[in-house]
Amino acid sequence: MAANFWTSSHYKQLFDQEEVDVVHPLDKEKGITLEDFKLIKMHMANYIGKLAQQVKVRQRVVATAVAYMRRVYTRKSMSEYDPRLVAPTCLYLASKAEESTVQARLLPFFIKKLYSDDKYRYEIKEILEMEMKILEALNYYLVVFHPYRSLPQFLQDAGINDITMIQLTWGLVNDTYRMDLILIHPPHLIALACIYIASAYREKDTTAWFEELRVDMNVVKNISMEILDFYESHRLITDEKVTAAFNKLKP
Amino acid sequence: MGDVHNRSNSNNEKPEWLQQYNLIGKIGEGTYGLVFLAKTKSPANRGKSIAIKKFKQSKDGDGVSPTAIREIMLLREITHENVVKLVNVHINHADMSLYLAFDYAEHDLYEIIRHHRDKGNNMINQYTVKSLLWQLLNGLNYLHSNWIIHRDLKPSNILVMGDGEEHGVVKIADFGLARIYQAPLKALSDNGVVVTIWYRAPELLLGAKHYTSAVDMWAVGCIFAELLTLKPLFQGAEAKSIPNPFQLDQLDKIFKVLGHPTLEKWPTLASLPHWHNDMQHIQGHKYENTGLHSVVPLSPKSAAFDLLSKMLEYDPRKRITAAQALEHDYFRSEPLPGRNALVPSQPGEKVINYPIRPVDTNTDFEGTTSLQPPQPVSSGNAVSGGMPGAHGVNNRSAPRPIPIGMQRMQHQGMAAYNLASQAGMGGGMNPGNIPMPRGVAQPHQQHHLRRKDPPGMGTGYPPQQKSRR
Repeated sequence: MAANFWTSSHYKQLFDQEEVDVVHPLDKEKGITLEDFKLIKMHMANYIGKLAQQVKVRQRVVATAVAYMRRVYTRKSMSEYDPRLVAPTCLYLASKAEESTVQARLLPFFIKKLYSDDKYRYEIKEILEMEMKILEALNYYLVVFHPYRSLPQFLQDAGINDITMIQLTWGLVNDTYRMDLILIHPPHLIALACIYIASAYREKDTTAWFEELRVDMNVVKNISMEILDFYESHRLITDEKVTAAFNKLKP
Repeated sequence: MGDVHNRSNSNNEKPEWLQQYNLIGKIGEGTYGLVFLAKTKSPANRGKSIAIKKFKQSKDGDGVSPTAIREIMLLREITHENVVKLVNVHINHADMSLYLAFDYAEHDLYEIIRHHRDKGNNMINQYTVKSLLWQLLNGLNYLHSNWIIHRDLKPSNILVMGDGEEHGVVKIADFGLARIYQAPLKALSDNGVVVTIWYRAPELLLGAKHYTSAVDMWAVGCIFAELLTLKPLFQGAEAKSIPNPFQLDQLDKIFKVLGHPTLEKWPTLASLPHWHNDMQHIQGHKYENTGLHSVVPLSPKSAAFDLLSKMLEYDPRKRITAAQALEHDYFRSEPLPGRNALVPSQPGEKVINYPIRPVDTNTDFEGTTSLQPPQPVSSGNAVSGGMPGAHGVNNRSAPRPIPIGMQRMQHQGMAAYNLASQAGMGGGMNPGNIPMPRGVAQPHQQHHLRRKDPPGMGTGYPPQQKSRR
């Protein structure tokens, strides 16, 4: 259902980590490793975010677009579905689904502004064709739930009203889209993991509040660990690594 | 397959998915596409009727129409006996067109009402009215409890199944304007003026920005009255020149029957833009309150009248909800509503054979009409000859111009799209408009957040908490 996560298509198609971490055979042939695969998706999530700033759509549109992009690559290869076309197209489709439609003709303009590299250059026509292929690849499931929805209630309920801590938590949630968490975990648990990390970081004691919640704290903690792992490995990522991964995709 | 058309080589060009249907003809047309009637060929569902809505590629080069996106998005998530069923979505990459395949419904309230009106003011029997209304409310209650507002309820969007297992079952259709309203990114009024004006709620006519599911209940009230009287309750003339929700004539029609709304009865009235702007117009005319009782054939003391007046309550906050309406006494008194709205359960009641939907058999999936003039397909037509299960095609006549499931609503919201009005990133779900960091991955913070720092990191979460499912 469109407003109840537990009956939604989103809930029904949550993946296991092992299902998400599969490099498509066509990409494998080109030498793409799991690490490359994750790196490219992360880079594309950043790309979507940057492009969204240019065309002025909100964070929820970005989040939906990133979720679409990540879902596409559970089914399709990067060799056939060039990430540099899929990313802006997902933003375009998400802008419609989230009722913030962006004009297609704006995209090539801003893409060019962001990336001088010709490999990023795509025409409107190609974006519109890819839009239909993405709709198909998503099996026409377009409703995505996000941690943003439950976050304000959680923060309020936990008595977190310190602005820097609220900002930290929102930033953490934004960063979770650089990972595949949205494909794997119910969004409210991702929100809780972000609050858990923020509490630890700001030394805010939310233990009692978490204990009152009827959620599996082991899952929340595991998500938190994944996020922290991500931050740690993130420091080791260089532009060269990203470029090297993309170079393998060349025909 | 060639029996459907005498057009040459349409067969070879047909995409694979289309091969699973026998096209019968066009049954509708709207601004964004066409609706076709087709029959399934697969052995499992052989001869099952399907309505296929084709969305044209928009001319302004903006890809899949937002209307189609909304419809797909919502209908992929919802299932209810009283909501139309989306059975398939198809894409034709060659011409970039999109097709939505629905279970076909032979009737709709527009045609049912028209049939009775044209047959010499022959009223719809009380069992049928009550059953149609109950099922409409049942579907609407499902939508509203899932935070979906339909926004364009009108008789032609309320379908009724023809002969078969679901005979007489109501299906709410056309979700091209429907919205999830739990957490909209923009004010709901932003994407254009919605709801055909005769069924449009007073708060919309007065320019409300944040309207609610109550707008659907107003429309249900109008439809209820129309089922009873066979004519639209508030038949205002639409001022089409400006894309403006403010429709003076429509308001006038409402006030004539229900009297002027007052701040006493509707306190938030003062905050509606047009109530202020057009004070002299709207409040200028004074009407004797003719009263609802004088326009519907109901005793003011009857349960039906009570329910109707609660649906036509001015203040949207006081208007009856779908859930409350389903509990109303009207539905607990004889005749009780039933699943087959068209066939009364009591023996002896007359069963009306409603006409079936007209089909234009001269239009193919590409929407091109063959050069021969449209002809009634009443006798020995090419269609029924070779069509397995094409029952009833014989009675069909030429279609009315804008039939079922398509509406002419312009997308003013698209045209009015204004980049500058949108806030930047990070503010999407941030009611306090607090500036949010884009990320917290700055290196200087990293060492605090390392995994090596034990979980709990000073806040003292016990390491092994039991799961509290």
